[in-house]
Amino acid sequence: MPYRSADRRRVLAAAALGRPLTEPGAELEPGTGSESAPDEGEGEPLRPVIGEILDVSPHLIIVDTPEGREERLVIAPWATAWRGETVSPADLPVGAHVIIRALRNGRVADRIWADITRITGVIQSIGTQRKDLTVELYCGPHGGRRTIVIPYGASGRLRVRHPKFEAGYLFDAIGVREGGVAHARLPATSQPPYRWTAVPKPPPGYSGLQSRISGTATWSDAFDWGEQGVAYPMLERADSDCQDAGVSCTALPYLALGSALSVRNVCTGRTSVLPIVACGCMAGRFCDRCLECGTSPRGRIVELSPVSFVELGGDLTKGCFNARVGLG
Amino acid sequence: MLTMIAAAQLPVLGALLAAGALSKVWTARGETEPGALSRLGPAVLVPDRWRAPAMLGCAAGEAALLAGLVLTGHPVFRWGTAAFFAVSTYVLWELRRRRPDVGCGCFGEVSAVPVGLRSLGRTMVLTAMAAGLIWTPPVPGWSLLSGMTWPQALAAAAGLLVLAALSPEIEETVARLRYRAPCEQRPLDPAPALNRLRTSTAWRAHEKLLSSTDPVDSWRELCWRFFVYEGRSRSGDPVDVVFAVYLSGRHPAVRVATVGFDGQPVEVAPLPESMPVSAGR
Repeated sequence: MPYRSADRRRVLAAAALGRPLTEPGAELEPGTGSESAPDEGEGEPLRPVIGEILDVSPHLIIVDTPEGREERLVIAPWATAWRGETVSPADLPVGAHVIIRALRNGRVADRIWADITRITGVIQSIGTQRKDLTVELYCGPHGGRRTIVIPYGASGRLRVRHPKFEAGYLFDAIGVREGGVAHARLPATSQPPYRWTAVPKPPPGYSGLQSRISGTATWSDAFDWGEQGVAYPMLERADSDCQDAGVSCTALPYLALGSALSVRNVCTGRTSVLPIVACGCMAGRFCDRCLECGTSPRGRIVELSPVSFVELGGDLTKGCFNARVGLG
Repeated sequence: MLTMIAAAQLPVLGALLAAGALSKVWTARGETEPGALSRLGPAVLVPDRWRAPAMLGCAAGEAALLAGLVLTGHPVFRWGTAAFFAVSTYVLWELRRRRPDVGCGCFGEVSAVPVGLRSLGRTMVLTAMAAGLIWTPPVPGWSLLSGMTWPQALAAAAGLLVLAALSPEIEETVARLRYRAPCEQRPLDPAPALNRLRTSTAWRAHEKLLSSTDPVDSWRELCWRFFVYEGRSRSGDPVDVVFAVYLSGRHPAVRVATVGFDGQPVEVAPLPESMPVSAGR
């Protein structure tokens, strides 16, 4: 069945069920915002800026956005950058792809991530290239196969959090893109002890379906550059054209590509209504917890695009935040 | 008396073997859940790629013993059944020691509860029943079933009751039925929803507006399945006709809306369901 457009599905579903299109659902808390204007909670509004560095100095960064605009941002004195490790913003190379968390209506750079990538998948094979390890991963029907490099210097840190370094086990790391190849640098989570096909079942829901579900929200770079939206694990396989969908260790309801979700970052109090634009078949197989602010309930409930993750106040190098999700 | 009681356990053993074989085949061949075999014994004792063949092999052994017990009275099948259950007792004991987290897999996916004393006790009782059968007259199972007397039926029922008391699967099945996942969390096939739609009043009322009876888009959200058809309004403008079918219940609700390309609902007067008729004078 062809998938036409997320917006069209929202319009049609609202018309058929007679529910309001723009207003949040009854399950949502008061104060939750719409897609265009996320509720910022108590903090200052955050605006993600993405693009390629044209020029950078200790006080100013100029980026070329995907829309072809030139954005000039003042670098805040406290701002730090990350490119495989924490660096000074002025040390970032020209041409690097950056995601900037900007304050003051997008004029002040607060945090910069350069060439960052998230490597989430199932280990297929492991090889060696001099001292480095090369790992082939299966990243789902949409992500396909991906070969990454684990530099010798990062292998100890990664392997201590990924004790089952063998085919069939999950892998999740944060790294940098260098010369078109992803180099893993930080473990994004502790590796689940089970194989990717043996995800534990969610506990039975004695009290029926919850209107809001708490868990972990992570990010992924499987989205288009600059896209806003989430990947959700519990999609019907036939509808989403994703043969690995429909698996989660959290009791999640079935939704569809195009459904709108209200995602709340519990740590920062920011909420945004985001459309489901991809199948989160890998996210559903992780039953980990996020320790960003307290301990989240077990299980990844959504995987956000980098832009949405930053907009909600997440730190890309930490990899997750404690989230609460409801139908938007 | 003892011989009669022992002989009456043949149908009980046959029923258990049949249920075990069928449920194992169902679990190993079906795609109820990926990775289900990694939590079921004794398949977990073998490497990954041998798990499904091991379970199917076990089911084949049970089916062969069942056929032998029912069709012939040859002692080899009775000895074989006793040996099978004796080995099963040992395997379950070993499984409990080595993998206390996994179920026995005796009845496939239903036996996911970790192996306990009840499961072990059941295989011991089955071993005793099969051993008792060795000393009874060698008659085929079918002739015993066709000529079963009341005392034999009572003895068989007593044997079944003992086994039921030792079966954690019964409680598991009751719990699954009682605490069934809500509709929003169950995978549901779109075909019954489409059939329900085609028999609904909303479909009949809007069928003439549709350009084609094949949906151009379909998706599921919570407990609703949506079907979108291209159509034309009464004024001839292209519209999308969207039907929403509820996925639970005997007579699920069907809702419909006609939406223009600008996203605004188009009011379409439904066809009259009945015409007022005057009785006349």
